Amino acid sequence: MATDKKDNHWKEDFPVYQLESTQVSRRDFAKFLCLVSGGLAVGSGYVAIKANFFPPDKMVGEHFVCKKHELPVGGTRSFVINGSTIPYILIRMENDEFRAYEQKCTHLSCAVFYKPGSGKIECPCHNGLFDAFTGEVLAGPPPRPLPRLTVVIKGEEVYVKDFKPDNDKPDPNRQSRS
Amino acid sequence: MSNFREAQNQAHPNKTNTLMLALIMILILNVSIQVWLLYTALNNALEKNTDIAFPSFIASSILFLIGFGWLYFLPSGPRVTK
Ligand code: FES
Repeated sequence: MATDKKDNHWKEDFPVYQLESTQVSRRDFAKFLCLVSGGLAVGSGYVAIKANFFPPDKMVGEHFVCKKHELPVGGTRSFVINGSTIPYILIRMENDEFRAYEQKCTHLSCAVFYKPGSGKIECPCHNGLFDAFTGEVLAGPPPRPLPRLTVVIKGEEVYVKDFKPDNDKPDPNRQSRS
Repeated sequence: MSNFREAQNQAHPNKTNTLMLALIMILILNVSIQVWLLYTALNNALEKNTDIAFPSFIASSILFLIGFGWLYFLPSGPRVTK
């Protein structure tokens, strides 16, 4: 037959029979979904192992931030702690209290800032709002409160240390304000 | 003797299409549940509630194994006799 003499190399580029071809992409899609599923399982395993066996290091000791008079009322000062790259902010609230938080929004890690006079910390990226007294989420997409540090004031100097929730449990200032 | 695979390969394309659709739907459902599990586990772990991380890992692995075993039923398409 004449067809046998033709150059049939084009067939190498189309390795699937036409009858089967309608299912190829869906088969590959199903296999791909299975791969994604495996990836998610591995990811969950990573989270589980990391959370249970390699918890993040606690901050040890107290760290000097600045002198009290260097920060005006309503002012903010960003700082990092030696040996770590996490950015923090120290806030001097309007009632002369100090608060320190991690500066990374818990949503997508944008830098948050204190809105003077409002008692709120704002994230400009998606309008997340945090309570500047507790770090709780007030509005917006952030899923978790801002990680907080305990502020220790020794005379004129401001120090921070790892946050212990029971340190200031009664939080009298919070009560009097609301 | 014919096995499951051969019987499936001889089935009408309408039938295999339905099977394929069902399979993909289940896989998508599994993956969405896994996404949700991972999201929850991660958020809780970052909030220092680590208890949820292991159960969610186990659930996620089971879902993966189900999806993987499920692939056995993937129609391989009509065999063209050469
Ligand atoms: S990153 Fe802060 S609200 Fe999205």
